Amino acid sequence: MKRLILLLLLVQPGYMPAAEILSPIPGRVMAPDFNLPDTEGKLHQLSDYRGKTVIINFWTTWCPPCREEIPSMNRAWQSLQNEDVIILAINMGEDEDTIFVFSADYPADFPLLLDRDGEVIAEWPVKGLPTTYVVAPDGSIAYRAIGGREWDAPAFMEIIRGLRVNQAASDN
Amino acid sequence: MTISARLTVMLLLSVFSPATISATVDQSINDENGLRGWHFRADNIEIELIQRLPDQTRAMLMKHRFSPAVIEQLAQSCMFQTIIRNISDADSGQVVTIDQSQWRIHHNGREQGIMLKEPLLESWGVDDADDAARLVVRWGMFPTRQEYLASDYNWGLTAFGLPPGTRFDLDVSWGVGGVQHTGRIPAIVCAPDVDTLK
Repeated sequence: MKRLILLLLLVQPGYMPAAEILSPIPGRVMAPDFNLPDTEGKLHQLSDYRGKTVIINFWTTWCPPCREEIPSMNRAWQSLQNEDVIILAINMGEDEDTIFVFSADYPADFPLLLDRDGEVIAEWPVKGLPTTYVVAPDGSIAYRAIGGREWDAPAFMEIIRGLRVNQAASDN
Repeated sequence: MTISARLTVMLLLSVFSPATISATVDQSINDENGLRGWHFRADNIEIELIQRLPDQTRAMLMKHRFSPAVIEQLAQSCMFQTIIRNISDADSGQVVTIDQSQWRIHHNGREQGIMLKEPLLESWGVDDADDAARLVVRWGMFPTRQEYLASDYNWGLTAFGLPPGTRFDLDVSWGVGGVQHTGRIPAIVCAPDVDTLK
């Protein structure tokens, strides 16, 4: 019976082992703080989100895998936004007009931040795009993914929710 | 990508490393645009190189403030869309390291390195590219050195610095667990320029 359940899990659409979604960061370092405007001019300071899990995605409109992962990221946002989880997608080097046009084809309901001169991305250990980090509620970088992912995969949701549970346990 | 004509040349390659590793190279042709691709696969790594037409590079760069000379320099530099992936088992903990400065081109009996973005960016004057344009090259071209955990992949542009239409062999190298491996992708062809397209 256990084998059957395992088999069903493996053939379930979207199933992916947790380690294939996100790589844990050993010796968690604190996430570099930033203060960036979104496409509507609202400022987002990372440290203001302390106590929440923050998914930080570095992207551009001209990066194919960045485009591909936006729909699944948006679905993840729909599921997680009411669970003290924030998604901040930091666009590197482009302006509001470019992102506005892009958003018609790739709608995103989470904040799209503008790092026009690349100063913030330079503070993070990013080598290529897209790169995504998961910042734990205590402000440390818990996980990293280089390259696009299916962000609404059950294993991903499990990891994100697990960070909150772990934080709650350590708070008590 | 729609590929109707898949020229699968399964070459079992000898890989010049202390531990003998077998690798395969597939070659493909995109039926829609005629662009050719080379797909290298070994135990822990996949490397995919897809031809990029000089006109595709011109179109991308003309949206930014590059000088005409720089646009032509990059357009005619044998640019390939490149994808590198660590295909190790997720639980293996295998880390793949890439240092493109170690890759070697073999062409007409000569050996040379590939074009790296750092010296390229340094070679340009203030009139060749503004800051925003430099960001496009910095983040659009493949990182020279990178570490891949299992399931990590990266994509970007790799420039080989050869004229359009040139045929060459490429020795790619990568590290796993402190051991360096090398494999050859034979008979790669730079995309032709518009004047030679049929």
